[in-house]
Amino acid sequence: MPPFKDEHILIISPGSQTTLAQLGLPESFTPARLRISSRMFPAEKPGEFEPMKVRERRTTKPAQTNGANPPNHSDAPMPDAAPSAEGQEPTTQEEPQGEQEDQILYEEDPTSEEGAVHPIIEGRIANWPCFFSLLTHVYNTLSPPFHTPILILAQPCWTAQDRELVTQWVFEKFKTPALSLMDAALAVSYAFATPHATVVDIGFGKCDITTVVDHVVGDVGRAAAIPGCGGEAMTQRLLSVLSAKGFTRDLCEQLKKNPICEILPPGTELPANLAPEEVVSNPAAAASTGAVGSGDGQRESIAAQGGAPRGPGLDTDVGDADRDRETNGAEDDEGVLDVANIVASGKTSEFLARKEKEKAEKATARKNAAIEAAVAKQAKLPNSKKARALFQYHERRQSDDIIMENTVKPAVASEGQQENTNPPNDGTSTSAETAAAAKREERREERRRARDSITYVRKETEVGLERFQAASSGILDRIADAIHRVILSVPEANRRSELWDSIIIVGNGSIVRGFKEALIATLTARYLISPNSATIFTSELPSNFTTPVATGANTPQPQQPHHPSHHPSGVNPLLHAATTASLAPPGPSQQQLQMQHYQQYQQQQQHQHQAHSSHAQTPTSIKLLRPPEYFPEWKEAGMEEAGFLGAQVAAKVVFVVDQGLSKGFMSRTEYNEVGPQGIHECSM
Amino acid sequence: MAGQATLKPPDANEYGGDEISALVLDPGYSTVRAGFAGEDVPKSVVPSFYASTPSQKHIFGDNSIHTPSPQISINNVMSKDGTVRDWDTAASLWEYAITSKLTSNRQGKLSTNGLNDAENEDIKMEDAAEQEKPVGENALLMTEPGWNAGKDRERAIEVAMESWGTPAFYLARNGVLASFSAGKPAALVIDIGAANISISPIQDGLLLRKGVVRSPLAGNFVSDQIRLLFSTAQPPVPLTPHYLISSKSAVDAGAQAQATLKHFPPGAEPHPSFRALQEDRVLTEFKESVVAAWPGPGKLSGHSPNGMTNLDTAKSHPGKPFEMPDGWNQVFQAADRYRCMEGMFDAKMALTDGENPAPSQKDCIIDLIKQSLNSVDTDIRAMLLNNMVVTGSGSLIQGLTSRIQDEMTAAFPSSKIRIHAAGSIVERKFGSWIGGSILASLGTFHQMWISRKEYEEFGAGIVEKRCK
Repeated sequence: MPPFKDEHILIISPGSQTTLAQLGLPESFTPARLRISSRMFPAEKPGEFEPMKVRERRTTKPAQTNGANPPNHSDAPMPDAAPSAEGQEPTTQEEPQGEQEDQILYEEDPTSEEGAVHPIIEGRIANWPCFFSLLTHVYNTLSPPFHTPILILAQPCWTAQDRELVTQWVFEKFKTPALSLMDAALAVSYAFATPHATVVDIGFGKCDITTVVDHVVGDVGRAAAIPGCGGEAMTQRLLSVLSAKGFTRDLCEQLKKNPICEILPPGTELPANLAPEEVVSNPAAAASTGAVGSGDGQRESIAAQGGAPRGPGLDTDVGDADRDRETNGAEDDEGVLDVANIVASGKTSEFLARKEKEKAEKATARKNAAIEAAVAKQAKLPNSKKARALFQYHERRQSDDIIMENTVKPAVASEGQQENTNPPNDGTSTSAETAAAAKREERREERRRARDSITYVRKETEVGLERFQAASSGILDRIADAIHRVILSVPEANRRSELWDSIIIVGNGSIVRGFKEALIATLTARYLISPNSATIFTSELPSNFTTPVATGANTPQPQQPHHPSHHPSGVNPLLHAATTASLAPPGPSQQQLQMQHYQQYQQQQQHQHQAHSSHAQTPTSIKLLRPPEYFPEWKEAGMEEAGFLGAQVAAKVVFVVDQGLSKGFMSRTEYNEVGPQGIHECSM
Repeated sequence: MAGQATLKPPDANEYGGDEISALVLDPGYSTVRAGFAGEDVPKSVVPSFYASTPSQKHIFGDNSIHTPSPQISINNVMSKDGTVRDWDTAASLWEYAITSKLTSNRQGKLSTNGLNDAENEDIKMEDAAEQEKPVGENALLMTEPGWNAGKDRERAIEVAMESWGTPAFYLARNGVLASFSAGKPAALVIDIGAANISISPIQDGLLLRKGVVRSPLAGNFVSDQIRLLFSTAQPPVPLTPHYLISSKSAVDAGAQAQATLKHFPPGAEPHPSFRALQEDRVLTEFKESVVAAWPGPGKLSGHSPNGMTNLDTAKSHPGKPFEMPDGWNQVFQAADRYRCMEGMFDAKMALTDGENPAPSQKDCIIDLIKQSLNSVDTDIRAMLLNNMVVTGSGSLIQGLTSRIQDEMTAAFPSSKIRIHAAGSIVERKFGSWIGGSILASLGTFHQMWISRKEYEEFGAGIVEKRCK
């Protein structure tokens, strides 16, 4: 078998929500190049699936030739449809209906979720045919060459039989020369280049907690797919506290992803609801610009909080060519007073009225400035100190609705919705301008429709303390309890403190602002063993003898040879000294000696795992493991999908470096010899 | 030799069709262990405890039973004597143990996924066979304690054959399997579990039933002793499980705990049995890090040659600190550390109160071994003493095996005493499962299986004839 090449390796990481895939290993490992939603849509034939929603649309011929719009967007180019149009299933087709003028058009809707089937639910494969067609879709999208080894990241809750089925299917369908199934948690530990880790993977509907000791996944006590502990649980929690305010699930999902939604460590005091006046901070500005709350302060703060810098939204009025054309005449020469012209035109009174109005506006502007200063002061507070925050979101609408709305445009404009977040410099929209604005609006609408048949309308609203409650349903407690349970069920008690010191939190559910910190804070508040439990004797010690450090104090230390003792396993010299009052003169050399002994002891421990005497309570410290620095692309993208990085590292090792010497993958020959069961011997 | 050469689908016999691995199921009072034969550790370890919601729904598995839901109560499918208490629930709990990690009965129809062309016959066949049967294609080896009643044995094969649809079945004694895992065909197996200590003499791979003795002075007894130690201490030691604490703060040793407690609205508290299970988790940690067996010589109640009582000697041994979930912490003196265990050896030293009467001396471990030896042939006693196997999670308490060794040497001064205790903790915890894994993967074991055909012909009674 010729050796595998970097550029041929196919990595697939199926998830409940998103499936990641990539063909070829780049020089420097990057986040997955292909990200697709893990959902398929039932095709016409039951048991078959399409990657995209296919809509049936019945139109009549005359209607079609009528307007300029309908054909335009029924055949609208779909941005990600191109790769899916593989030969096997023609996705868009037209079927003329014979003698009738009626036509059924099949169109793909790339954004619709209607009727979607999710093959993976809470990590488990719930619908096998759908799962397999998802794999096929990924495979066809990337269309790898023939000599492509495949590495699939296996979810922790896949059973042995699940793995066999995947193996059998991949070998028989893709005819791949080699397959490796790698445990998702193990992959994370590869990404962090650590031999031992506690991997906490917060997914969509579940979370997995896995201990990895010496590069081996701990099966005993592993918590795979704890239901109700993923990102969806947080969305649902937000929904339950906000549904009274008319929030939909989609809105809550957006709120969860917004930086104003934050999970505060337990015990943090919520900000008092002190500044109600800011809710309607600026009625004047509202009247003149249509931007309620002249959102400066709030928006600034969002950016300051590291929110994604937003370009002007689709509906935002920024210096726009259309607009310029129309307003040129009226506003360009503002500020230049051609008195003669004014007097001659006989519009003096009008002019004076305008002047008056400008003055008034300036006054309000000054007033605004004062208010804004107050707002800015408020804005400098971190998000967690603010009782309320502005929440900008996008509402998804069918273009049809918008078209309808456009026909009744004035009604929409006067609806009082904060549809447009006009930058303040956008200035003085008068009622005379509405018509022009409507026209502009329509023109832009058309352009948008040409791009996409779906419209996102940008809106904003104010959210109070509910935004801190995403995790208030006890999800942190459940995860923390599970972490404690999983680490304590690691048989080798002396490895547990390493595991507490190398916790890795990954998974897209953990992106929610403050989640990781809050989880660590929960663990610390509930489980950390404080170091002073052993300091009971320190008062009897000479004052220049340092208090025991947290890690060493609870661990028995080897007996120093000259101390007689009945206890075979050794004793902490400190405690011994305190109890027998025969302490050798303390000093740095003594401590060094202790350190040496301690190291020796640790080495001994590693040789004799059965030495139960090492038992001491854990955790004496809880730490998150830092991600490696040498993957610049990943540093930017965040390590939430670190499993994919680990998969790339592992693929490089098992397929290219190792070439199967240490059975990192199953070759086709092996498959033919032993069948799918052989995967348990070969996978990682 | 890439793709083309190997495109031909493999023959069924090329697959090694009969090498589909068997499942090994080893139920115990604390956990049930399940996994594929031939592996070195059970993939699926599920607590035998299950939770019941007020609506009588049963919830299985570690992920769910530790959540303090309103009015949740905890029960165990096993009874204190190590046999099955509730067969219906036990069957579904074991099924959960098997299907959650090993096999899966949630598959869709593979024949409809567009792959059902000629070369995928085997997928279709598999599909048809296991639509609803969780163990449809794997043989199943189950373990049982040496004193299992005949009706329980028949029930086991009924569950396996009728509800799980296993093609072949065998019921093995866990004592025998533990001796296999130690690599011995003949041994005296001392299995210290959660609910029972059992002594099983094994000869030529067969259990000598008349020599099987057991006593309840095992892991749970030690837990009760610790509870008594806490409640009789001055001042009493508070035992508050983790689920009641929302945060703790560091306090000085022995000082009052300063923790923020969690409050459950009235009517939403879990059942007291939930608290008991959660307390046991804390006690397990306590056993791991504090409890130790008195290292000898003699018993803790005895004297050393120079006239000092051993309890006084123990005072000079080091204590060990322990911190409770609520932050309360203390260094437990060596005498207390030894005391929790001593009742296992010396009934007089057991802590007692009204609800926990003193055990009888004949239940203590050394006396138990003597009883067992006295009921087997005299000529194999020396051999058994030379091949003692200590297994079970309860045996992991610090210093326990060396204490047994010392006491046995003192009790049988003329015999050669050798104790085998597996070095790795995993091997000690899952001794009988590992033995089952070895046994079921042996080629020569194939003739021992009770096949479905035999079961249908002879009925459940065949288990008495075949599985001696």
